Amino acid sequence: MIFQKKASHFVIAVLFLVGGLAPFALRQYQVAMLTEIIFFALYAVSYNLLLGYAGLLSFGHAMFFGTGAFTAAVALVCIPGISIWSDIFLAVLMAILVGLVVGSLLLRTKGAYFALLTLAFNSLFYVVATKWSSVTGGDDGLSITRPNISIGSITIQLAGITSFYYFTLVIIGMAIVFCWYFTHTAMGRTVLLIRENEERMNFLGYNTHISRLLLFVFTGAAAGLAGAFYSLHFQFVSISAISVDMTTTVLLMAFVGGTGTFWGPILGTFVYIIVQSYLSDLTDHWPLFMGLIFVFMVLVMPGGLSQIIQKIPGVFSGKSGDEPGDRVVTEETIL
Amino acid sequence: MTDCLEIIDVYKDYSGLAVLSGVQFTVKRKERHAVIGPNGAGKTTLFNIISGKFRASSGTIRFKGQDISRKSAYALNRLGISRSFQITNVFQELSVFENIRSGVRSRYGLRYHFLRKPDSNARINERTAAIAENLGLKDVLHVPVSALSYGQQRALEIGIALSTDPDLILLDEPTAGMTREETVQAIETIDRVTAGLTLIIIEHDMDVVFSLADTISVLHYGKILISGAPDIIRSDQRVKDAYLGEDHL
Repeated sequence: MIFQKKASHFVIAVLFLVGGLAPFALRQYQVAMLTEIIFFALYAVSYNLLLGYAGLLSFGHAMFFGTGAFTAAVALVCIPGISIWSDIFLAVLMAILVGLVVGSLLLRTKGAYFALLTLAFNSLFYVVATKWSSVTGGDDGLSITRPNISIGSITIQLAGITSFYYFTLVIIGMAIVFCWYFTHTAMGRTVLLIRENEERMNFLGYNTHISRLLLFVFTGAAAGLAGAFYSLHFQFVSISAISVDMTTTVLLMAFVGGTGTFWGPILGTFVYIIVQSYLSDLTDHWPLFMGLIFVFMVLVMPGGLSQIIQKIPGVFSGKSGDEPGDRVVTEETIL
Repeated sequence: MTDCLEIIDVYKDYSGLAVLSGVQFTVKRKERHAVIGPNGAGKTTLFNIISGKFRASSGTIRFKGQDISRKSAYALNRLGISRSFQITNVFQELSVFENIRSGVRSRYGLRYHFLRKPDSNARINERTAAIAENLGLKDVLHVPVSALSYGQQRALEIGIALSTDPDLILLDEPTAGMTREETVQAIETIDRVTAGLTLIIIEHDMDVVFSLADTISVLHYGKILISGAPDIIRSDQRVKDAYLGEDHL
């Protein structure tokens, strides 16, 4: 485990280093794509805290993402001169409120009921966003202009692709690192233990309903933060940000990378965005091919890409990898 | 105030099927209390009610004088009631250490913290290791439970029950599935690790029960037939008829 932890520190350092140097080697559109990968990675990581760590299959994660995206956009439109910090803060706060309200209603549900109710809530949010066009812009969406960062008398221009990329790398990067740290905290371990044996946790003094609510709110806040950056990045938000499609997107990202490890969904996001961008250049029917890839992944390697990577050392040392379990759970294997 | 637990006129029925019909007995502080009775007498149901898994249909349960009849399992654990399970009920995929630590850190209030890590809390980790050592699990501390022997899993079951430092511990057939020698050894361990606690134990091996317990309650078809010292139980004609048979005279 100590080795694994060191390995994680190493992964974090390398990711930041590569991320910091990337704009020097990439074209502008590639830097923009990398920005997208970073905030979608947070979205996928937060989703995997629910799915991979807590074993909760949610079809409603886009309601947080969309709430963050719309709050950030609406605040920029309605509050002239709002700073980017307040804008992001409001987006996360709204996502937290949504998490508290929806989470309280879902407190006692698990499994299929939880999945279906989150789907229902996501649809509800989607309908509200569509119909409440005076605020959300309805089908037309909302256009915004990214504000600059002001710290005292210093102003950092964020209009450029590269400067916003670095801003995203720092803020979202720190959020992802915190999510990783979270998995080692008391709460992070509690969530995992509840998935393993909820009854026993009850008899050890844990209120498992409250634990699930706290996790739901936390992952919602992270998804809301990702959503805010989505708006700021595209300088536009439409109802697709809060649609069920946005939920299936995150499900795909997490699954492609593998839900059994912390870093899997980040890898999944990377692959997803690049494949999607490549396919959508080739054909308008790219969702069909993404769907086929997903079906293939689920059937052939339920552990995702990270499962394959974990097997590589075994292949080189002449041992066959471990049998793919449904889910990698032990302290030793989750980084 | 010497009573730890008072069970007063507890009834439990499942949609018309009466499992407990007016159970009544008292457990004194630091007593080693055995509950015996034939299969289906309602022993485990009684444990489920005391520990908060189910609520009694009617009746009152007092713990240290406080009415706890309507409290949920997690609240009862925080008050100092802990239990083990007849069928091993642990965290199968996790290590012995993390299994026991789940309760230890709960006791230390480190349940939902978003910043503090159990790994870096020396007191919690020392306490966890001490409990494991006490139960002979020192050598398998970082082994996943699924790789343990049955006997070790049963020991862990007790270790987890002890991990929240309870005042009252309920052990539901801790020796279930063990051979005679294993049972005798397990009971020795239980006697040692629960010293100073109030213990209620469900056990089938009568020799073990009579050597371990200060007080025995005989549960028979949802009622307490008699509750008293081993000598009284041994010589009671109703108990002989209902349960013990002549060979335990």
